[in-house]
Amino acid sequence: MGDEVYSDLMRELKEGEYVFTGELEPEKAGNVNEPIRMAKELKGLVVACNVTDNPQSFAYVNSMAASYKIQEEAGMECVYQLRCADRNRMALLSDVLGAGTLGLKNILALAGDHVSLGDTPDAKPVFDLDSTTLIKMIRTVVDEGKDLGGNEIEDPPKLHVGGAAAPGAAHLKAEVAKVRRKIKAGVEYLQTQVVYYTDVLDKFFDELGNVDTPVLVGIFPARTFGQADFFDKFVAGVDVPPDYLEAMRKTKEIKDKEKRKEEVDRVNVEFFTGFLEHLKGTPAAGCHMMAVGYPRIIPELKKIME
Amino acid sequence: MIAQEQKPMEEILGYLDGKQKVVVMGCGGCATFYGTGDKKAVNDMAEKLTKEGKSVTKIILPLGISACEIDMSAAYLVKNRTALENSDALLMMSCGDGVQVVTEYTDETMGITKEVIPANDALGLVGGGPTKFKETCQSCGMCELGKTAGICPLTACGKGLMNGPCGGVREDDKCEVDPDKDCAWVKIYKRMEKLGDIKRFEQINDPHQWSKAKRPRLFEIEKEVNPVAMMLGSLPAYLPLLGRPKIEEK
Ligand code: SF4
Ligand code: SF4
Repeated sequence: MGDEVYSDLMRELKEGEYVFTGELEPEKAGNVNEPIRMAKELKGLVVACNVTDNPQSFAYVNSMAASYKIQEEAGMECVYQLRCADRNRMALLSDVLGAGTLGLKNILALAGDHVSLGDTPDAKPVFDLDSTTLIKMIRTVVDEGKDLGGNEIEDPPKLHVGGAAAPGAAHLKAEVAKVRRKIKAGVEYLQTQVVYYTDVLDKFFDELGNVDTPVLVGIFPARTFGQADFFDKFVAGVDVPPDYLEAMRKTKEIKDKEKRKEEVDRVNVEFFTGFLEHLKGTPAAGCHMMAVGYPRIIPELKKIME
Repeated sequence: MIAQEQKPMEEILGYLDGKQKVVVMGCGGCATFYGTGDKKAVNDMAEKLTKEGKSVTKIILPLGISACEIDMSAAYLVKNRTALENSDALLMMSCGDGVQVVTEYTDETMGITKEVIPANDALGLVGGGPTKFKETCQSCGMCELGKTAGICPLTACGKGLMNGPCGGVREDDKCEVDPDKDCAWVKIYKRMEKLGDIKRFEQINDPHQWSKAKRPRLFEIEKEVNPVAMMLGSLPAYLPLLGRPKIEEK
């Protein structure tokens, strides 16, 4: 990792603060009004927000365009997610240079879900690079001002690159060995896939051992039963606990909208209190709160961490 | 071998609409193994087309004579020159290679230009057998197996990642893309573990050099081979086949 600090996220990580990041999801629309609105609500609660890139291979507003608009209009620092599924190495390089040009400061380099799982299943999957080689490419671009072919880049972009880790991976040893490859490639921080079980988290940190790379643990307080159910059914490598799922399902029965909201918040606070208390005792550098469209829960959860 | 299956009959008949005289040509290579171009397949096809009122000439290639190896298959084309000249279409029961190699030869060398129709869909380079086959190599032109414990990540990994596994490995180490398939990268991990060389799994593999697969690829070998002499000369070497082991298929 270089010593340079280009973003608030990296500054907080370097200063050893307990870091909170959030998540914003551009939609299938010709604007990003909703993520901008959410970003405004999240200001002050998280240091930066990830902006998803075609999550689950559903094609939405380009995450670079969305990140730029969100930074400009909401003043929220973004973690621009960039996946290999849809772009070859040339397009990825162009996008990294584009991100620098637009003043984006953090990239999260991802392989991405396979296109066949999304809403455009006949698309040709690309995966010309993978998360590790994308991380390495970005570090070479930023630190050495060179692209993959060794060509000089004038005034290289100044940004940080993060990567993902999946503590719930079916084969944890292979997953962690892959994470070590990302660390060798120069990844500057890791954000994990959503974790619900404390023992899953402990096993992951045990297997990972002592590393300098800060790890932000992903949690997903669901706003509705539907969100939790979708995660359980469709998000690779994530198991939602049946008790939590059941408690969320019951909230559907509450007719009064306000009362239902209160109950959803109560279920989340109750479930995550134990988890977050446990998180304090792990080597995690912070928490990535994927509360998509659910900013009101974040102050509640942060309270637990104080 | 090139796996293949026959197209639906309606599709084939659609192509042959208005074509009365049809030459049906098989293939003694891969298509014979897959039952899509062997003697029986050609006979069955001829029967179906005859029932549809077509007049059919059959060109059957014996085992070992591949349609795509023009040095061998040309003899069978030349022998059927008249039928080809008089036909309205040539129906090829081979992979797309066989179709195109034969078309080029009839067009350019024999001076016979006819409508050519594929009877099969080629499904990729596969290995295995006798009844179950698996795609394991896509002939990328720059083999990476030396880095990946002999398992091809470009082909066996659903995403073709050079540095896996991805975050989507399912229960029982199955692939994110298809729960019926094993995650290639977990297999690579387990094989490296068995080889006692798990540190190798942490090495970063460079991006694959796709420039080696610039299409279409043309290829030349230095020495011409005589396939007929080779086949006859190696007859004794086929003897072990008489005691061949029974393959247990998983
Ligand atoms: S790397 Fe894979 S596709 Fe390429 S030659 Fe080797 S086995 Fe075949
Ligand atoms: S689960 Fe394994 S084989 Fe499937 S795409 Fe991911 S890394 Fe590749």
